[in-house]
Amino acid sequence: MFADSFRTYLHFLEDENDCIRISEPTSWDLEASAVTTLANRTDGEVPIFESIKEDTIGAALVGDPYRGPQYRPWDHLARSFGLPAGLSGTAYYERVVERLRSPREPRVVDRGTAPCKEVVHTGTDVDLLSIPWPYIHQGDGGRYSNLHTVVAPDPETRWGHWSSHRMMIHDDALASLLFLAGEQAPNRYYYEYEPGDEPMPVAVVLGAEPAVQCSTEMWIPTGRSEAAFAGGLKDSPVNLVPCETSDLFVPATAELVVEGRVLPNERLDEGPFGDYFGYMNGPRRSMPVLAVDAITHRSEPRVPFCVEGTGVGYGQNSSSTLQTAAAGPDATLGLRAAGFDVELAVPWRFTSRTVWIIATDRPYPGYLHELANFIFTTWGMLHIDFFVFVDPDVDPLDPRAVLTAIALEADPDADFHQFGVERMPKVPLNIYQTPDEKGSADVGTSKAKTAKAYIDATADRPAADGSEDERLRTRAQELLVDAGLSPEPFDLLGEGGGESG
Amino acid sequence: MISFAQYLQGLAGNGDLVTLEEPIDVPLDVVAAEALRASGPALRYDRTDGVDLASGTLAGPDQMQRRKSRPWSRLALGLGLDPEASFVSVLETITSLGPSAGEAEPTYARQAASRTVDSVQKLHLPQGTDDVWPSLTLGVASVSTDEGSHWAPIHGSVIGDDKLRVRTPAALSSLLADDGTLSIALGVPAAAVAAAYLLAVTEGIEVPVQDCGVADDVPLVPTNGGLVPSATELIVETTVADRHPDFQSDRREAWEHGVSSTPLSLSVERVIATDDPVIPFSPVGRPLADDLQLTGLATAATLYRRVNDYWGISPVEWVLLPAEAELGICFVATDVLYAGFEWQLANLLFAFSSLFDTVVIVDEDVSPRELGRVLGDIWVKAHPSRDWIFSESSAPAAKRPRYRKDGTTGARLYVNAAWDPRWEDSYIAPRVSFEQSFPTSVRDAAREVWNDRHDAASVDRDRSGF
Repeated sequence: MFADSFRTYLHFLEDENDCIRISEPTSWDLEASAVTTLANRTDGEVPIFESIKEDTIGAALVGDPYRGPQYRPWDHLARSFGLPAGLSGTAYYERVVERLRSPREPRVVDRGTAPCKEVVHTGTDVDLLSIPWPYIHQGDGGRYSNLHTVVAPDPETRWGHWSSHRMMIHDDALASLLFLAGEQAPNRYYYEYEPGDEPMPVAVVLGAEPAVQCSTEMWIPTGRSEAAFAGGLKDSPVNLVPCETSDLFVPATAELVVEGRVLPNERLDEGPFGDYFGYMNGPRRSMPVLAVDAITHRSEPRVPFCVEGTGVGYGQNSSSTLQTAAAGPDATLGLRAAGFDVELAVPWRFTSRTVWIIATDRPYPGYLHELANFIFTTWGMLHIDFFVFVDPDVDPLDPRAVLTAIALEADPDADFHQFGVERMPKVPLNIYQTPDEKGSADVGTSKAKTAKAYIDATADRPAADGSEDERLRTRAQELLVDAGLSPEPFDLLGEGGGESG
Repeated sequence: MISFAQYLQGLAGNGDLVTLEEPIDVPLDVVAAEALRASGPALRYDRTDGVDLASGTLAGPDQMQRRKSRPWSRLALGLGLDPEASFVSVLETITSLGPSAGEAEPTYARQAASRTVDSVQKLHLPQGTDDVWPSLTLGVASVSTDEGSHWAPIHGSVIGDDKLRVRTPAALSSLLADDGTLSIALGVPAAAVAAAYLLAVTEGIEVPVQDCGVADDVPLVPTNGGLVPSATELIVETTVADRHPDFQSDRREAWEHGVSSTPLSLSVERVIATDDPVIPFSPVGRPLADDLQLTGLATAATLYRRVNDYWGISPVEWVLLPAEAELGICFVATDVLYAGFEWQLANLLFAFSSLFDTVVIVDEDVSPRELGRVLGDIWVKAHPSRDWIFSESSAPAAKRPRYRKDGTTGARLYVNAAWDPRWEDSYIAPRVSFEQSFPTSVRDAAREVWNDRHDAASVDRDRSGF
């Protein structure tokens, strides 16, 4: 059984006692995110704030609903895809890779049957401020939506392009979108729509079913449809429904949809924002304007949000979990499809969008350079500065094993490789850039270029045969569990075991 | 001073020791390693044949997850500190065990080990997966000279009823006469084994224990070799049989990666034990092993003292060689005093230790309890080209990493993951955290909501501190 809506997903969490309803009146103004921060850092239940102060539409805020448990961040999402409970990291990756190999085209349903159309506001009825958007961190530039799917036109697929760009609310009908040049939807806006003085239709979808949110975080090749991969992920077609004011399609079971146009040559302030690096990120800069034409939603919509910045270090949040549970398996599949002999590609747990770990064979000299070059030039390279390569017998989901490989195998003299010194494009979000370097460039890139680098932390000798050791280790783990230790951290006690990740 | 037996009771009282009873059909180093890998409790092995053993008593959980305890929590308890003691207080306590500026005042007490054991083989010390013979680890060797007694780590193998083959620091070996006597103490107070490791990594073995802080802390008793802690569980008195035995062993305790060691063949003269001895062992060579943790802490304590002594002030908040990285990287948190300071600091650390080729510098407000944050800051605060700084390729290879073992020279690296001191304060991005992202009134309201449903203690479990 899979979760075909956000609500079903929340019910799944509830069944496992992994979410709690908070009925006390809670303010969208920092309070909901403060409680969510506590939940995130203590690995607690997902909070559903049922009574939001000053709310007029019966909405509930949901704090970091996709966050998984510390031991196995993918657990909740695996359940929503109908996968077995308690999969080890490697087993989960392989199951998801298998699903993604069989994309399933979406199905279009009538407006009348689409839950996201239960309430429809268009024209002068539109009131963006009727939704209790959270003010997430003290110092943020405004109230944000930051856990959603932005649907944008795509000339190569009928279903549009799905991606994630945070949205800052300005008034009852205007918002600004963080559009960073170099990413697909912003590129279309900056280099096609805006030069033609044409508004770009978009839809911002909140509370979509988990498979949709996951495929939004994936790096789907141009010309392929995220919607089809979402269908593959849950092994069933995603239901789509036409928008009210544009030709775009949106997931029918979504909680809330904001339809609008990104206006050409218009800018509004955006930021600063406490971002996924774990630091408050500025400066405030000009970003493209979303003019809202329609808002449709389920009755009493559940509005998810992410407390960005809490998913670094030990903490998990929706953003870091989606990187590990969705972007990782997708990247693994992508590299294999490109002909690279990759075991796993996994975001580094402690800063999931800045550095990735790739366990791989090295069939010939120069292979790692080729692989790094391929990744840096074909994927979401703007955000990623480093790749660390480890041997295929090193579990990249086990950060201790990776740290050990870096410490013991990466020779400063021979194993650190830069792709040019400050010659590569850079998003303006990295905190190591000065405000001057971040700039306020019109197209949202940084004035500064950066270096991309990879670290070869593979060993220069054959891997040991660990078969005998594994048999002994399994027996030792059994003895320890018999003596009273919790079985959870042990990786060899059945398919469900495994601390890694 | 806490004896090893009392220490184990303390661990058990804290729920941090689990007892395994025979039959145990797996080599004990594998069991010990699995418990460490799972960040489990210390283990005691109750045995009907041979002495009882314990593992993980000096190690601790890794810091790759947020946990209630820290890698140094157990050793802190053994040193007489609170298990929640700050990391720096543990480092300072270890440092205080070494050569003392003041006059140490040794105390002497009755020897706890009073009965004689027929044969060292009858102890049935643990035999590792790849071992030919039972092995002896976490030993404190004591040698007597005209200056006093000298301590150092020692480990080795039991190869007969009265024969040991051991490795010990070359500095201790050089103090021994060809027919000299040496005592090996097993199951000593944590302060004693920490002192032995500290003296080894600081090259202070020539300093007699009577002139070290450990003598103030640990009551002593004479043996045929030299003074040992009176509360030792098991003492093996030996004489040197061969200064240059013809044997090779790949097994090295972690201190040997940074300290020159030599082999010795020893004849066992006498083995004395307490009535119900328990002795610790380390799964040498396996991740997070006790000897690794102890070497990392002793080295960090040494480096912390030396770098802070260097400038006349104390800019360095902490130094950490995590066992998770097998001592191949040094992390240091510091106030960056001026532009270029980080270069000086990194090179001082390279000068003071040969273990690592990489130093990572983080800001002074980063807690050593938050290795997770350190492992994040490396990638977000350090510019990939400007803040990853490599030396010329003229440095000898560090001892701990596995690369460049052919004697060739290479580069060293320091990663500056601290804010640039040239930046104005307004450039410094505030951290996103519960404490910094919300005003007091909101924090209080959030705690009230959350604590209504949860144990309040769990909320502040990760409160930072040095």
